[in-house]
Amino acid sequence: MALRVINKKRHLGLQQLSAFADTGRTFLGPVKSSKFVIDEESHESVVVSSTVRLLESLDLSSAVGQLLSEAVQAQHNAYRTGASTLLFLAGAWSRAVEECLHLGVPMSVIVSGMSEGLDSCIEEVASLHVPLHDVFDRIDGTQVFSELESLNASLCPFLQVPSDTGSIPKERDLKDAASQALTTSSLSGRPVKSAKPSGPQATVDADKNTSQTPQTLRNSLLADSRCRQSVVTHSRHCSREARAERTSKHGAAAPQPCRCSDLGELAVGLSHGDHSNMRLVEGAVRLQHQNTRVCQGSWTVPFTFDISRVFTRCLPGLPETFSCVCPGYVTVVSMFSATMLEDLQNQPLRVVLIEGDLTERYRHLGFNKPANVPTVLGSMRKLHQDSSDELWANSVLQVLIKFNVNLVLVQGAVSEHIIGKCVHAKRLVIGAVSGRVMQAFAEASGAVQVSYITQVRENSVGSGVSMTFWRSSPLDVGDGISRMAILLKTEGINLVTVVLTGPVTAQMQAKEDRFWTCAYRLHYALKEQKVFLGGGAVEFLCLSHLQILREQPLKKGDRICSGGLHNTSSWLASPLALYRPTVLKCLADGWHKYLSTVSCNTANYSSEFEARTFIQHHLQNAIDSGSPSSYILNEYSKLNSGVFNSGISNKLEQIPRVYDIVTPKIEAWRRALDLVLLVLQTDSEIITEPGHTQIKSQESEGFLFL
Amino acid sequence: MSRLEAKKPSLCKSEPLTSERVRTTLSALKGIVASCYGPSGRLKQLHNGLGGSVCTTSQSSTLLANLSVSHPILKILTTSVQNHVSCFSDCGLFAAILCCNLIENVQRLGLTPATAIKLNKHLLSLCTSYLKSEICGCRIPVDFSSTQILLCLVRSVLTSKPACMLTRKEVDHISTLILRAFLLTIPENAGDHIILGNSIIVPLKGQRVVDSTVLPGILIEMPEVRLMKILPVKKSDSLKVALFRVSLSGDLSDTGEGSVVVNFGVSLENAVLDQLLNLGRQLVSDHVNLVLCQKVIHPSLKQFLGEHRVLAIDRVGAALMEPLSKVTGTHPIGSLGSVSPSSYGSVKDLCTEKFGFKWFFHLIPNEATVCSLLLCNRNGTAWDELKLTCQTALHVLQLTIKEPCVLLGGGCTETHLAAYIRHKTFNDPESILKDCGCTPTELQLIAEAFCSALESLTGSLEHDGGEILTDMKYGHFWSVQADSPSVGNWPDLLTRCGCGLYNSREELSWSFLKTARHPFAPLPCLPHEAVGSANNLTLDCFTAKLSGLQVAVETANLILDLSYVIEDKN
Repeated sequence: MALRVINKKRHLGLQQLSAFADTGRTFLGPVKSSKFVIDEESHESVVVSSTVRLLESLDLSSAVGQLLSEAVQAQHNAYRTGASTLLFLAGAWSRAVEECLHLGVPMSVIVSGMSEGLDSCIEEVASLHVPLHDVFDRIDGTQVFSELESLNASLCPFLQVPSDTGSIPKERDLKDAASQALTTSSLSGRPVKSAKPSGPQATVDADKNTSQTPQTLRNSLLADSRCRQSVVTHSRHCSREARAERTSKHGAAAPQPCRCSDLGELAVGLSHGDHSNMRLVEGAVRLQHQNTRVCQGSWTVPFTFDISRVFTRCLPGLPETFSCVCPGYVTVVSMFSATMLEDLQNQPLRVVLIEGDLTERYRHLGFNKPANVPTVLGSMRKLHQDSSDELWANSVLQVLIKFNVNLVLVQGAVSEHIIGKCVHAKRLVIGAVSGRVMQAFAEASGAVQVSYITQVRENSVGSGVSMTFWRSSPLDVGDGISRMAILLKTEGINLVTVVLTGPVTAQMQAKEDRFWTCAYRLHYALKEQKVFLGGGAVEFLCLSHLQILREQPLKKGDRICSGGLHNTSSWLASPLALYRPTVLKCLADGWHKYLSTVSCNTANYSSEFEARTFIQHHLQNAIDSGSPSSYILNEYSKLNSGVFNSGISNKLEQIPRVYDIVTPKIEAWRRALDLVLLVLQTDSEIITEPGHTQIKSQESEGFLFL
Repeated sequence: MSRLEAKKPSLCKSEPLTSERVRTTLSALKGIVASCYGPSGRLKQLHNGLGGSVCTTSQSSTLLANLSVSHPILKILTTSVQNHVSCFSDCGLFAAILCCNLIENVQRLGLTPATAIKLNKHLLSLCTSYLKSEICGCRIPVDFSSTQILLCLVRSVLTSKPACMLTRKEVDHISTLILRAFLLTIPENAGDHIILGNSIIVPLKGQRVVDSTVLPGILIEMPEVRLMKILPVKKSDSLKVALFRVSLSGDLSDTGEGSVVVNFGVSLENAVLDQLLNLGRQLVSDHVNLVLCQKVIHPSLKQFLGEHRVLAIDRVGAALMEPLSKVTGTHPIGSLGSVSPSSYGSVKDLCTEKFGFKWFFHLIPNEATVCSLLLCNRNGTAWDELKLTCQTALHVLQLTIKEPCVLLGGGCTETHLAAYIRHKTFNDPESILKDCGCTPTELQLIAEAFCSALESLTGSLEHDGGEILTDMKYGHFWSVQADSPSVGNWPDLLTRCGCGLYNSREELSWSFLKTARHPFAPLPCLPHEAVGSANNLTLDCFTAKLSGLQVAVETANLILDLSYVIEDKN
C-alpha cells in the first residue's frame, strides 16, 4: 500500500482537474467546435462534439479523472444537459481555488465561503425565473389543424413526394386523426378557447386571477413563481393597458421577467442555436399532446411531455431534410420480405409481444440449465428426422397460426430460422425492440408481454396494429443489403419516433446526442413550468450579486455558519470575514470566465480580453444601477437575445428570446463546486493495490509505504 | 521421488517498538488518521492505482479496511480499532489517534512497560468512573421528551464527515430524516423489553439530497415500468402474503457429480413447471394476494398467478428477506413441496411509488417497526460516504437509547477529562501510589503523558493552523488563529467553546494547551439551564466514546507490552 500526499506546495488534484477541464472549453455555449480524438496506437479516430463523448474517449484513469468523469456522468444521466457547464466551471473554480490557496486563505474558509456564496447566488437567480403559462393553450382547439399542417409541411418531407405510393394513406391518417381531435375537443363540453392567445383581453384576465394583495415583491417571488403576480413590462404578448394597470397599482415596481406562454417561442428559446433538432422535438411534443387529447377526450389531467415515449431512429445515408417526426414506431427490416410487407400493409395486424429472445435455447433470467442430463432413447421407435430446432420452429408457427398473429415484436434476439419461416407464412417478426416500445404497444393494442411463445393465450394477443412503409424506396446503408423502413402504429399509441437522417455516417451519433439534449431541455422546462432568462443573464446576475456581497461588510454578530463551518465553534469565523471578499471573487471568477468563453466561442468577440472588458463594463453598470436583476431585465428587453449579443439589431420582434432550464443548470453548478471542494479537501491519495513496486520505479519520491 | 525441504527458521525481533521503521510507519498511520479527524478533516482518495473506482472518505471504517499494513504492531492497532467500529460505528478515528498518541508519549519516557501499563490502566479507570459518575461535568442526560439533544447528536455525526458534501440545509434535512427513521423503528406498545426494528437505506443516487425521504414499511425496486394493471384488486383490509426463499424459476436442482438420464420425450423442465403450477394453484386456492420471492419466478407461473389476480414480485434479494418476514409475519418458504397455511402473513396495503427515475412497490405493514430511508446524493462517492454516516448516526441513536446520556463533543470532553486527571493526580496521588506501587515521579510522568495524549488528540481537530486553548474554569476546548496578536483580548478573539455550550463573554481565563499550567478542578455538574438554552451543541455518543477510550488505552498497553515479534517465514 502506498500513500501520496497531494498538496504539499501546489495542490496536485486541483491542477489535474483544471487540466482535464480545459479540454472541454470549446464545447461551451451554442457554437461548439468538434474535436478529433485519435488513438495513437490503433490510429483510430472519433469525432466528438459533446463533453460526455469527449470524456468517454479520454483516459481518465487517475483518481481525479475518475471523480470528474463520475460527476459528469451523474449529471448527464440525471439531466442529459449541463455537462459542459459542469466541466468548465469545475476547471475554472479549481484554478480560482488554487489562487486562493496561494494567497494563504485557510482551506476551511474557502470551503464554507464558496458554498455559502453559491447558495446565495442560487437564491438570487430565482428572480430571473420565467414562468411558463399554459403553453399548450395555443395548440388548443381550432389551432390543432393548422399546426398539424405546418407540421406536415415542415417535418414530414416524405409526405410531399407525390410519387410515393406508400405515403398517401399515411397523410390521410394524419388528417383524420387531426379532425378527430377537433371533434372530440368540441364535444367534450368544454368550450373551445378562442384562438386569441396574444390578445390583450386574455392576458389581463389571467393576470387578474393570479394577482393578489401586493406584498413585497421579493417574498412572493420566492414563494411561488408560478402563481405570483407578474408585473409584465416587456412582452410583445402583453398589452400596454395591462402594463399601465400594473405599474399604477404597484408604483415603481421592479421589472420582472415576462412569462412565456407559447410552445414555439419556448422551443426556439431553448434550442440554443440548434433549430433543426429543436423543431423535431417540438413536433414530437405536439404529436404527443394531440395524442393525449385524442385519448383522454377531456382536459382534466395536465399534459406532461413523456420523454420516455420518444424514440430516435437514425438512418444514415439520407439527406438531412428527410428527418421527421412520426407517430408510432419506425424500424428497418430487410428487403427480402418485401412482398410479405406489401400484403400486410393494408390490413389490421394482430400482435404478440415477446420479452425474451425468440430462440429455442432461450430461458428466462435466473434459470440455470443443469449440466448432466443426457437424453437416451427408450425404445427403437423411428427417430424424428427433424432437429429439435425445426420442431420448435414449427411449434412457434403453429401458435402464430392458431391465434392468427401476423406481427411478433421481440425484445431480444430472433433466430434467423424463425424469421425465414415466418416470411413464408406471411408473418413479420421484428427483433431487438426496446422495452418501452413494447410497453407502448402493450398499452395501445391490448397485448400482454410474455416470455415464451408457449405462454401466448387469446387475451395476450393485441390487435389493431397497422403497418405502412416509411418511404417506398429501399434504403442502402452501405453494406449491400437493402432494407426498408416501415412504420408500425396503433390507434392512440403513445409513441413518437423521430427519424434522424444525415448524409455523413460519422455525424449521426453527434446528431442523435444533440437531439436528445434539445428534447431533455424542453422536457425539463415543461416539467418545472419555469425557465431562466438565458443568454448568460443568470451567470451575469451571479457575478453582480457576488460583487455586491463582496462590498457589503459582514455585520457584527451576523456569523456565517454554513457549509463546513456549520456547528463548529472554531476560530475560522473571523478569518472568514477577512477572506470573504477573496473567496467570493474566486467564485465569481468562474462565471466571469464562463461568460467570456461563451462569448469567444460564439465569435462575438475576437479575444477573451475584449469579452472580459465588455462584461466588466456591464457589471459596473449593473452595480451602479442598484439592482442588478432589473438592470438585466432592462438590458435584456433592449437586446432581446442575450445580454452579450451586443445589440446589433433593434428589430426587437424578430430576435427570439433565449431561455435556459432551471434545475439542471443549478445542479451543474452545485456538482462542479462539490467536485472542486471534494478535491480541495483531499490531502492524500491511498493506493490500495499491493503491487507498489511499479510506483517505486516510476516516481518513488513523494510516496510513503506502510 | 519426493523432496523434503528444510523449514526456514523463524525470525525473532526483540523490542519491536524501538526500531526506527516501526516508529516511522506508526507516525505515518497516525498522520493519516489524525488528518481525517473532525468536521474540517482532510479527505483521502482510496483507489487501486489501476483505474478502479475511487473512494473519497474520512471514515475510519473505510480507511482501515483498505489500508494493507505490513507490520504486526500496526495490525494489532488497526484490528482493534476495526473491532470497536464494528460494534459501535462511531469514534474509530478517536480511538486510533489516542492509541498512537499514548504509545508515542509513553515510549518517550523510557519507563518500564510494566509500570506504564499499570498506571495507564489506573488512569483509564479514573476516567471511566468519572464519566459514569453523577458529578461528571461533560455529560448531559438525554431528555427523550424533546428532539433537541438527539438532533444535535445526529447533526454532529453528519457534520464530522465532510466528504458527504452537505450544505447546512441539507444537514438539517438529513438529520430530521434520520431521527424520524429511528423513531419509526421503536415499537408503539412496548413491554419490558423493547426490540428495535430496523431502517433500510434505499439508494437513489444522482438526485438532490433534499429529495431524500423516509417512509414506513418496505420499498422494493421494480425492475421495469410495468405498473398500474398489475396491482392486486382485492381490497379487503389486508393482503395475504406468501414469501418464498426458494427459487421459483423452474430450474432443476444441481446434480452435482452424478448425472440424470432421461428418456426421449420426457422433459424435465415441463415436469418442474407442472410442479410450480400446482404450487400456484394451491396459492390461489388459499386466497393469497401477494407472492414475494427472493429469487426468480418462472414467467409461466407469474402469468398463471396474474390471471388469478395474484401479484407476484420476484428478485427481492437476500437483504430484504429478514425485514420482509418481520413486517408481514410470514415464515419464508424454503421448498416447493407443500406450503403450510401457517407460513402466510399479511400486509395492510401495497402501492407503487416513483422517486427520481425509479419505481418502487411500497409495502405498508399493519404494524411493524421497519422503515425505508430513501437516500439521495449527487454523486456516487458522496453517496457512499453519506450512507455510512447515516448508518453510524442510526446506530449512535440506538446506543443512546440504551444509555440515555451524551458527552460534549468538539474536543471539550477530552480537555475537560485531561484537566480532571491532572487535578486528581496532583491533589490526591496517595491512593494511586498505594494501588500501583510506584513512585510519585512515575505517576506524574505517566499522568502527563496520558493527559497530553488526550489534549493533542483535540489538537487534531484543527487543520488550518489554529492554536488550541483551554479555559481554567470548565476545562473546555477553544481555538484561535495561529498568530493571534495579544493575550489581553481573548473574549474578542474567541467566540464559543468546541461543543458550543459556553461563549467567551463569561468571566473566564484561558491558557494555551501546550503551555504548562497549574492543575485546576474543572467545574463538575453541568448547570441545567445552560444545557436547556444551548441550541447548537456538538455532542458525542457516550457509549461509543467510552469504548473508544478503553480500546485506545488497552491497545496501547498491549503494544507497549510487546517484547518480541516472532515471524514464521515458511
